[in-house]
Amino acid sequence: MKSSYLLFLLAERLFGVKLMGAIEILPWRPSRRVPLSYSYVEGLLDYRGAIYPVHNLAKRLGLSKAGPIGFTAGQLESAAGEQSIILLEENSVPFGIVVDSIMRMMSLDEPAAAPEKVRGVDPKYVKGFSREEDQEIMILDFERLLHAD
Amino acid sequence: MDKGTRFIIVSLGGESYAMPITRLLEIAVPQAIKQDANLTEVFEGKFEFRGKWIPVLNIKKIFRLTGKPGTALLVVNSAKGVLGMLVDAVTEIIDTAQQPVPVPRGVINPTLQYFGGILRHRDNLILLLNEDGLLP
Repeated sequence: MKSSYLLFLLAERLFGVKLMGAIEILPWRPSRRVPLSYSYVEGLLDYRGAIYPVHNLAKRLGLSKAGPIGFTAGQLESAAGEQSIILLEENSVPFGIVVDSIMRMMSLDEPAAAPEKVRGVDPKYVKGFSREEDQEIMILDFERLLHAD
Repeated sequence: MDKGTRFIIVSLGGESYAMPITRLLEIAVPQAIKQDANLTEVFEGKFEFRGKWIPVLNIKKIFRLTGKPGTALLVVNSAKGVLGMLVDAVTEIIDTAQQPVPVPRGVINPTLQYFGGILRHRDNLILLLNEDGLLP
């Protein structure tokens, strides 16, 4: 069975997020910082009546270390102007993720089972992989990403 | 009759925080803060308020914000007693009927009880300080 996915790029890798409900794509903007929050949380964003915690997905996944670009937090900050924020919901909990660029929407088969080892990303956050022609698309497990605490 | 709650808005490191005004006893000038070696580093010292010495918190230290301790001293009634806290400035006092929105899950370690919620004000999000959770 096929479902709709939004594909995006982060640290030169292709990711997919399953479209469950409403989704918004915004140019990156600063969020309201929360002192002592988790290091991968940029802050809070008030958008159309809901407050979204904005997760820096590269930091969350540890891609800033393992990514092919090898960028540091400081460079992330300066590159932030070109990034996008995707606002979505997981089990009716709103949240946002910062990504490098939005690719396109597409219909994909259910991802193949979660692999034991994933290069550069903690496998517990990966639901599986889909394939489109010769490109591998990593499908993330947002329920796990959001409720790690 | 106004059914709203009145909040004092303060700025700390360039961002706004709020507190219910019912907890505020006084806004003072932090001239007479005395060092006290028995207090931990989140305290700036102690302050004599109505004949009693109260501890004065440097909130920037607690929140790991950079910069000098604030120059406005709020004297606040907390569940753990009267305390002073240094903020950069008192910016305004607002009346609002809003119910504060809880801080979403997955943002901050739930054992840290510094924030009582979020208020919306003039297109900004304002964090509500939980004065009862600030003292170590």
